[in-house]
Amino acid sequence: MKKKALSSLLVAGLMASTLAACGSNDTNNNAGNTTGDSTEGGSKKVVAWAWDPSFNGKALNIAAEIYKQEHPDFEIEVVDMSKTDLEQKLNTNLAAGVTEGLPDIILVNDPNIQKYVNSYPGTFADFTDSSVDYSQFSQYKVDALTVDNKIYGIPFDIGVTGLFYRTDILSEAGFSAEDLENITWDEYIEIGKVVKEKTGKYMSTINPNDEALTSVLLQSAGSWYITPENKGNFVDNPAMTETLRVYKAISDSGIAKPVTGWSEFVGSFNSGDVATVVSGVWQIASIMDAADQSGKWAVAPTPRLDIEGGVNASNEGGSSWFVLDKSANKELAMEFLGATIGGSSEFYERFLTEAGGVGSYIPSFSSEAYQQTSEFFGNQAIYADFTEWSTKVPGISLGMYTQEAKDALKNELPSILNGADLQKSLANIQQLFEQQVQ
Amino acid sequence: MGGKLNKSSLIGWQFVLLPSALILLFSFYPMIQSFILSFESGKGNVSEFVGLGNYSRLLSDPMFRQALYNTILYLIVQVPIMLFLGLIIAHLLNQPNLKFKGFYRTAIFLPCVTSLVSYSILFKSMFAVDGIFNKLLMNMHIINEPIAWLMDPVWARVVIIAAITWRWTGYNMIFYLSAMQNIDPSVYEAASIDGASKFRQFFSITIPMVKPIILFTAIISTNGTLQLFDEVVNITNGGPGNSTMTISQYIYNLSFMYTPNFGYAATVSYAIVIIVAVLAFIQMKIGGEKK
Repeated sequence: MKKKALSSLLVAGLMASTLAACGSNDTNNNAGNTTGDSTEGGSKKVVAWAWDPSFNGKALNIAAEIYKQEHPDFEIEVVDMSKTDLEQKLNTNLAAGVTEGLPDIILVNDPNIQKYVNSYPGTFADFTDSSVDYSQFSQYKVDALTVDNKIYGIPFDIGVTGLFYRTDILSEAGFSAEDLENITWDEYIEIGKVVKEKTGKYMSTINPNDEALTSVLLQSAGSWYITPENKGNFVDNPAMTETLRVYKAISDSGIAKPVTGWSEFVGSFNSGDVATVVSGVWQIASIMDAADQSGKWAVAPTPRLDIEGGVNASNEGGSSWFVLDKSANKELAMEFLGATIGGSSEFYERFLTEAGGVGSYIPSFSSEAYQQTSEFFGNQAIYADFTEWSTKVPGISLGMYTQEAKDALKNELPSILNGADLQKSLANIQQLFEQQVQ
Repeated sequence: MGGKLNKSSLIGWQFVLLPSALILLFSFYPMIQSFILSFESGKGNVSEFVGLGNYSRLLSDPMFRQALYNTILYLIVQVPIMLFLGLIIAHLLNQPNLKFKGFYRTAIFLPCVTSLVSYSILFKSMFAVDGIFNKLLMNMHIINEPIAWLMDPVWARVVIIAAITWRWTGYNMIFYLSAMQNIDPSVYEAASIDGASKFRQFFSITIPMVKPIILFTAIISTNGTLQLFDEVVNITNGGPGNSTMTISQYIYNLSFMYTPNFGYAATVSYAIVIIVAVLAFIQMKIGGEKK
């Protein structure tokens, strides 16, 4: 009897706890929703999710310090998580329709903007009628944030590209700084062949599994994998044809060291195996990791595609800040971002000096911080150069299906590099892409 | 009926009740939900009912076909190699006169306790163009030029297969070893007296005796290979091209890398379910004729 009573009790207890687990949504959500609690408490605190605490997190903290000067009761909590974790968490939360537990502010990688806004309508705050003056930002960053004539966030860092090169290796091969100014990719390859022959060093790296280079090439001619209407942009696109021709030429010429991953890529220039790196401005930090190469680097404009509309400037990466529309602190978060990252030259000067980050806020470009010279880069005023190039970057629509299009291209790339007929391959890619996005 | 339930079986049912409820809630309910989801298609939260649209899309999806091909390739190449290796190693470890048994057993089982991601990253760096493996081969003068392992579709698959084999052979070996230790030594004695060679003993005694375990490991390995994800994502990220992409990675891409289409991703998941069920059925038919 005693046993039975005990077992019934156990079962009852366990059942109760399961049921409690099902029904406890409300309590859980409140615990997760720090934002909800903070407003009730009266303090002005916003929560933000971002990856890379020493860069993006740092930026928010600088912004908060600036904002606090006039709003002393303002507080920010930056939750650090990796980029993939953040994107997954956001995706699953939004797909489940759970907005509690999400932060007020979130960092979004530019190619994801259209995807998020279209996939989760009504989730992100509309900044179109806010106090932010978007004409003060580089146009291509604003274009990336615009969906159906509405602007959904605050432009943040940019990835304006440059041709980083080792002055010592190139002068050994007989090239001076002028030889690298505003060159085409074919000239770049020719220089690379001489460098390889005279110094034994590779000119660049190549990774057929990474779309960074093709993206840079396409944007430098104002083109992208997909059209603004989200259709595949592979056939009858001179920029695409030229991009893949150049890509194959680099691969065939033997001037590029094959690498298979990010650490190998960084390792190749840190160890001095390659003479040049075409990459975004944020690459400066990795390049400067090799302290022994100080003074041996310089940066020239990105090589251009030799077609109509090809310019010596492009972009790689970059992100923007979004505010969640359902956030309890939406107004505060928008005002905070608008007053700092969305319109404070002081913020961008400090962001550059303290975190090495370059923004797209044009008024800050003329500041003293942006004129500083770098000893590592042979006393070149690198940031002034980068910001000048950033105004020339062609604006493109990143669309919704960038990743799908990249994967479709990746599927054909090995056969293109093996010499398959380019027009036929492009038709295959187009077909594969259309299959993917139906 | 109530009268026939005695006290102890009532208690038993009470204990079954809770796990059943939990399984229903956390296993069957999501399964049914994702099955319903597999009839929808769209972008993120904007989705609509498309009936069998996803399933017909699946049949003509070249990406899915590529992923399926890769996965099946891993399956038919890697699983037999691994299981056979596991059997051989277990057999060697089961030799009564072997010294340092404990050491070998631990050493061979050890890969199994490493994290999937960390060993994948190790394999990636070992098979980098200037990685240790190329250096070794060059120093031994087997090759003159470094091989770009992860950039060649064939070599990349070889690396993936080598990695999974390294990681999981010890795991299967333990099952075989415990099964072999349960074989009565007198059977081998009798076989020796009858003049059966060691080779013959292995194939005619050991393998038939551990057959149920072989079936079991074959099913779990098949299942595991069809869900292969971590290794491929971390070693090659599906490349070069999409030549090492698995079905699981494709599902991940559909949900998290691409513009999310959860409905179609659920359809692809159900394709795995069907494949696993069919393969397990075939294996049971072939391997477990008596029961």
